[in-house]
Amino acid sequence: MRLLVIEDDPALLSSLAATLREEDYAVDTAPDGLDGLTKAQEGVYDAILLDLMLPKLDGWQVIERLRPSCRTPVLMLTARDTVPDRVKGLDRGADDYLTKPFDTDELLARIRALIRRSAGRSSPVIEIGELAVDTAARRVTLGGGEIALTAREYALLEYLCLHRGEVVSRTILYDHLFDEDDSTLSNLLDVHVSNLRRKLGRDIITTRRGHGYCIE
Amino acid sequence: MRTPFHSIRWRVQAWHGAILLVVVAAFCVTTYRLSWNNHLRRIDKDVHRLDWSLIRALSRVSRPAGAPQAVGGDESPPSPTLIAARLRGGTVALPAETAALFEGTDPGFAYFILRDGSGKVLLQSPNAAGALDTPCAQSRDIDEEFRMIGHHREKVHRGGQTLNSVVGRDITPELDEMHRLAISLAVSGFAVWGLGLLGGWWIAGRAIQPIKTISRTASRIAAGNLDKRISTAGTDSELDQLSHVLNETFARLHTAFETQKQFTADASHELRTPVTILLSETHRMLKRERTPEEYRQALQTCHDTAQRMRQLIEALLLLANQEARRAGSPCGRCDLAAILKDTVQQLAPLAAARSIAVDTDLKEAACQGDPASLSVLASNLVANAIHHNRDGGWVHLTCRQDGPSVAFTVRDNGPGIAAEDLPHIFQRFYRGDKARTPTSGRTGLGLAIARTIAENHGGSISVDSKPGAGACFTVRLPSTA
Repeated sequence: MRLLVIEDDPALLSSLAATLREEDYAVDTAPDGLDGLTKAQEGVYDAILLDLMLPKLDGWQVIERLRPSCRTPVLMLTARDTVPDRVKGLDRGADDYLTKPFDTDELLARIRALIRRSAGRSSPVIEIGELAVDTAARRVTLGGGEIALTAREYALLEYLCLHRGEVVSRTILYDHLFDEDDSTLSNLLDVHVSNLRRKLGRDIITTRRGHGYCIE
Repeated sequence: MRTPFHSIRWRVQAWHGAILLVVVAAFCVTTYRLSWNNHLRRIDKDVHRLDWSLIRALSRVSRPAGAPQAVGGDESPPSPTLIAARLRGGTVALPAETAALFEGTDPGFAYFILRDGSGKVLLQSPNAAGALDTPCAQSRDIDEEFRMIGHHREKVHRGGQTLNSVVGRDITPELDEMHRLAISLAVSGFAVWGLGLLGGWWIAGRAIQPIKTISRTASRIAAGNLDKRISTAGTDSELDQLSHVLNETFARLHTAFETQKQFTADASHELRTPVTILLSETHRMLKRERTPEEYRQALQTCHDTAQRMRQLIEALLLLANQEARRAGSPCGRCDLAAILKDTVQQLAPLAAARSIAVDTDLKEAACQGDPASLSVLASNLVANAIHHNRDGGWVHLTCRQDGPSVAFTVRDNGPGIAAEDLPHIFQRFYRGDKARTPTSGRTGLGLAIARTIAENHGGSISVDSKPGAGACFTVRLPSTA
């Protein structure tokens, strides 16, 4: 899962990015509204964390310009906690609102919920036959037994499961699993797919030649 | 306990009722007495006339037959002794027209009784019953008086040892009339009193209506609805003036309250971000084992963040202190030039780090003030000029005596201040770029503090700037010279 954090306070930005990376998210950062808007419009993010008080463009302007074309869920992070502020943010297209100072665990839970909801799922556990993916605990079980996966393998499986039935192209997978600083070799994706197949069974991920991968 | 007499309206009404009652009663009593006196005068005249006609008739009939009759009827009346003697003789009869005056017992009838000196009745009208027979004081004096006996008004003539007469009249009709008058006076008096009470109640109600409005509005304001105001009639009455005074007070309260609310909101807003950083960093670090390098970095971040909070809290305290001092302005003579020189020396490293040249043109300028506060003011302005300058720029400081005040200016050649920001730069936490610039450790309170200090000293601060052409802050303070 790939996130964009738009926050003008450098200390907070780096702390947030570090926290999210440790949770195995691919994280891009933007220090001001304009930069954030440009990156957000690429449409490769699973969720955007947006501060309100930003130089160049404030949070409200960013979300207003972003909204018609981009459906990425946006979580507003702000020190403004009055009800009118929250209503204004949500009415302009934000999906959730979190007031500073917030608890990191709550922030992570809200991000997971946002991603889940935007993929059209409400339950945190995705079950496909014998396979169960618990997106809250980040655990995978097959027929009751827990399967140990690396962070990248888990991220790949979770993305395919959330978009179950869709054919996901390699480009999309690259966009959503690696951040802009990642210079991973392109064949790394094939390595992760074959590892997943080895651990979970050959039939779990279908390859559509020339199109991408799919979990039926 | 609340009784009706705690209410102004009730008290006004009670006083009004009491006074009105006294006035109406006095009026009624006076009217009654005047009317009674009037009647009495008329009755007395009547009785006097009766008496007169009786005496005349007696005189006529008592004259001895064959006494010379004076020409023109001008005769000397016979003496009372003579009349008494004739009456005693029983030979006197009143003429019919005179006797007709003293007949009957219909209301208003007249009567007479004549006695001699010993009290023996010589002659009396047939209607003068024994009950009416009142003894006359036996006296040698000759006098006349009117008196009331029961329902009768009498004229008593005392003729000493010779002839005493009582001529009376029944005054029942007059007494009845007076009785009717008393009833009608009482009824109309009570009616007037009742109307007066109603009118008074209405007027008192109208008079205290504005007070009720004021009290209602004031309670609404007290309940937290601070933007409410008492509506004024514009008549400039006493209550209108009170409303104006109250409205002004409410407006000042509202402003103070809003400022306080804004300040609290701003302060908490500014503290939220650093607290978030502290929480986020510590939470992340505690989640798993880290390398010493990672711990060092996280601690550094936490330390920097805590420093930021410390600066913010110090600035807030400084501002709060300065605002609290507003009432009693600090006094003392200090040399502005020396303070500015110290400030420049203190900030020299900051300027040097960005290769900014600071030059000064300081003339002696003595002013009233607190040196520590003025030093903060100067330091905020100079640090501001250095911070917002471009690398390699310059900052120019001057101070001089300028008429009744001393003025010092801080000019820089930085990028200047945008026109839309100019009116707001002295507001707390206002930042031109609408976002925090935390790396510099600036709080957004520097200029607000500077303005508060300048105003505390009875001075002013102003700014002149064009984008691209730098900014020039001018502070004016009262001079001691």
